Amino acid sequence: MTWSDLTVIAPFAAVVVVAALVILADIVKPGNRHLALGVVLAGLAIVGLLTLWTGQAPGTAFGGMYKVDNLTTFLDVIFVAIVALSCLFAPDYLEPRGLPIAEFAAILVFALGGAMLVAASADLLVLFLGLELMVIPGYMLAGYHKRDALSTEGAVKYFLLGSFSSAIFLFGLAYVWGLTGSTRIADVAARVGEIVAGQATLSPGLAMGLAFLTTGVAFKMAAVPFHYWTPDAYQGSPTPVTGYLSVGPKVGAFAVVLRVFAEALLPLRQEWLIVIFVLAALTMTLGNLVALTQDNVKRMLAYSSIAHTGYMLVGLAAYAAGVIGGLEGLLFYGVAYTFMNLGAFAVIAALQKRPGVSSRLETFAGLGRREPVLGILMVLFLLSLTGIPPTAGFFAKAYVILAAVQAGGWLTVLAVIAVLNAAAAAFYYLRVIVYMYMRDPTGEPAPVAHGALLRLGLGITAVMTVILGLFPGLLLPSVSSAAQAIGVAIR
Amino acid sequence: MDISSFPILSLIIFLPLAGALVIALIPRRNLAAIRGTALLFALATWVASLWLVLGFLPGRDVVASAAGSFQFVEAVDWIPHFGIQYKVGADGLSVALVVLTTTLSWISILASFSPIRERVKEYMISFLILEVGMLGVFLALDLFLFYIFWEVVLVPMYLIIGIWGGANRIYATIKFVLYTLVGSLLMLVAILATAFTFQAATGSWVGAFDLEKLAGSGFDGTFQLFAFAAFALAFAIKVPMFPFHTWLPDAHVEAPTAGSVILAGVLLKLGAYGFIRFAIPLFPHGAHVFAPLLIALSVIAIIYGAIVALVQPDLKKLIAYSSVSHMGFVTLGIFIFQAQGLQGAILQMVNHGLITGALFLLVGVIYERTHDRTLAKMGGLGAITPVYSAAFGFFVFASVGLPGLAGFVGEFLVFQGAFAFNPWLGVAITFVMIFAAAYLLWMVQRMCFGPVSEFLAGLGHHLTDMRPVEILTLAPLGALTVVLGLYPGLVLDLIAGPVKAVLAAVDPAVAMSIGR
Repeated sequence: MTWSDLTVIAPFAAVVVVAALVILADIVKPGNRHLALGVVLAGLAIVGLLTLWTGQAPGTAFGGMYKVDNLTTFLDVIFVAIVALSCLFAPDYLEPRGLPIAEFAAILVFALGGAMLVAASADLLVLFLGLELMVIPGYMLAGYHKRDALSTEGAVKYFLLGSFSSAIFLFGLAYVWGLTGSTRIADVAARVGEIVAGQATLSPGLAMGLAFLTTGVAFKMAAVPFHYWTPDAYQGSPTPVTGYLSVGPKVGAFAVVLRVFAEALLPLRQEWLIVIFVLAALTMTLGNLVALTQDNVKRMLAYSSIAHTGYMLVGLAAYAAGVIGGLEGLLFYGVAYTFMNLGAFAVIAALQKRPGVSSRLETFAGLGRREPVLGILMVLFLLSLTGIPPTAGFFAKAYVILAAVQAGGWLTVLAVIAVLNAAAAAFYYLRVIVYMYMRDPTGEPAPVAHGALLRLGLGITAVMTVILGLFPGLLLPSVSSAAQAIGVAIR
Repeated sequence: MDISSFPILSLIIFLPLAGALVIALIPRRNLAAIRGTALLFALATWVASLWLVLGFLPGRDVVASAAGSFQFVEAVDWIPHFGIQYKVGADGLSVALVVLTTTLSWISILASFSPIRERVKEYMISFLILEVGMLGVFLALDLFLFYIFWEVVLVPMYLIIGIWGGANRIYATIKFVLYTLVGSLLMLVAILATAFTFQAATGSWVGAFDLEKLAGSGFDGTFQLFAFAAFALAFAIKVPMFPFHTWLPDAHVEAPTAGSVILAGVLLKLGAYGFIRFAIPLFPHGAHVFAPLLIALSVIAIIYGAIVALVQPDLKKLIAYSSVSHMGFVTLGIFIFQAQGLQGAILQMVNHGLITGALFLLVGVIYERTHDRTLAKMGGLGAITPVYSAAFGFFVFASVGLPGLAGFVGEFLVFQGAFAFNPWLGVAITFVMIFAAAYLLWMVQRMCFGPVSEFLAGLGHHLTDMRPVEILTLAPLGALTVVLGLYPGLVLDLIAGPVKAVLAAVDPAVAMSIGR
């Protein structure tokens, strides 16, 4: 290990230190949430700065197993933002229910470490390590409200299916390793390229590897038909956890996809293009159709998050067809989705501050009158999720659709499927607005005071949702350079 | 002050937004201040738009480009990565519709003072944002910017119908949004495809969303068919053309009065404007191919709207179907690609906005007093409320197309165009005019003449005649109806340039040669 190794892994090392410090703080002063939150937020700020600092000088560490490029930095910043926002939103929900905050924060930070490891992996083994480190805390968080039967049920489902999918993914990696003789992403790509170049059809081994990898990763990102764990896990988990689960592991899964499919298996892109095409179409359509019938907002957002996976896959499909804009669109979508979806879940969490308040649609009845600010913010997030301009969600959709149109051919059909889905999705997003503004509240619950952290977090998500919608140009240079890091001009 | 050195168009677009922001700061209990501020900003926007007309007139005859001849163009890079600009500009068509919008907006806000008593703050903010969207659509010269304003219109209208509407408002408003959204999202795909096609041809994103650069750049024939179809679907839903009109009667019936006024007066014009400004100049070949279909649908709309209007029991529904019929004249006038037809279509857009806007205001007046719109319950209003009946009669005659009032000239020009295009078509739609006269005059008869109905008599002294404020909202529309009826040249002069530009774009020699 050299000094340069240390500077390259500095952000990751810092994450581990922060996680340890949070646990330590909770041991020294048990149950002191101010201390725990202070340590986490300060630590995350340092991690964020370190990430940006390391990102200035891309490089590799540990003999090329760990690398920092523009994509790593870009994804890391999203991950840090996701965890920081989740920590801002959590106290208001967890505290009245007597759920410990320090554990929540520490587990999240560990998950952050896993996600960052995935983003920085130049080796498939490191990638798998990161993947597991990222998802195992997720299982814990899902079942973290252990006296709640729904939470436990969701966690068990999530754990079982998650473990299966990890195993399947690993099995796929074994095939790839067996055929290429290497776990280094760059070597794998080169070797696969040589294998493919000489053959008209795909060798059975590679086909098996590709199939297993796709299945494993489709589970993680909750693509149809591998999505069954999502609604139960999302509905059962405490709301701030759901918010995190709907964003963190999903963006993380896309990081896996980028490293494995868009980088290591790039020579096979013609093959996985078809798979991604079908997955994208199915995921969008089924996610939206089922979301239409939900009357629980958390469950509705769970299905809608499945649909959003589909939109992001459209970008990936466009990239597979040779349009680098697809990759850019996918990354932009990830950022937009992070802020708008976390924001929407934060509003639900805020409404559920008083224990016992459900996340059913009736909870939202008359919200516009009871809590005008929360109402307006929820409208903003829902419009963004729908894709109505001028919000971040609109530009994100336009970006992936533009990429699909650029790719032409069948991908134009995918673009049309995507917009028809967006129109259908408007129905269930708008229904929440109907309840908030067009129905009278059932009973008149006493207003609750919202914590300063929650308000800060809501402010950040709302401002980002608007700014990325009005001035997407601000993010485009970073998106481009992140995409350039792995997407050589493949057309 | 010299108007050309001043970003007058941005001022017009964003003045209502400034008003909305100011209202957001006013405490919700202070109703007078909220209403006053809304009216003040709407009036200021109106004044600015009149100033725009004065500044526009001297340069209106500048030679047209493929897209038209625009003045006061402001262009700022917005998302340079894709060549997307904040680009606005005005030609005669835009100016005419901008003035229509600003006029109807302040009138609608004034007319909302009394009927809207709940959540006044949210209402006024929605209304002003709605105005921003409408003005933006009429002034945007960048396709991306246009699309954004197009969608911005949707949300406030959704709220206005859904929150302040009638009993079945939620169904109506969701139907309105979903219909519009399906069309507009497909248009988004077409916009992006157009931009990319341009980028692929020139190798650069610069100007890829710029209407002036795109128009007349000669897209491939097959591409034009698909792109035009996507644009046309979005606009046909908005107009609405038969068979996409079913959202309109629901939306009108449930919307509050001012919502109906804006819906009929301006929102329907967005679709027709989209055809003239974007769909036709961008894809003239596609327009030519689809013109027979669109003409057929227009004729069906004219006849069908009139027949269905004849049997409507509800006042608002009747006027809504009459709108379907009248907007059929607009689309017919557009797609016969013929000078009189196009002039007539544009004139009809303005006239329909004024007259139908006024009719919906009048329905609102009677509804506020009776809380009913059923025609069967009305009768004998002439004896109780003479001023109201006179106003009602006046605007109905204007709508029928009485010579001397605005409705006549537009329809007459469309007839002329239709006769020149195909005499049989001209004869056919002239006969429809009899239906129009029938349903409208029969409506007046059932409303105003005969003995006073039991229902109205039962209301006793609650049924008062028009208040001064209500007269004030109708007076400008009445005056404009007379002025434009006697001197249609006011509008025809403004739109001469745009008409020439559109006809040049669809000149068969140019349009049909593409893609061959």
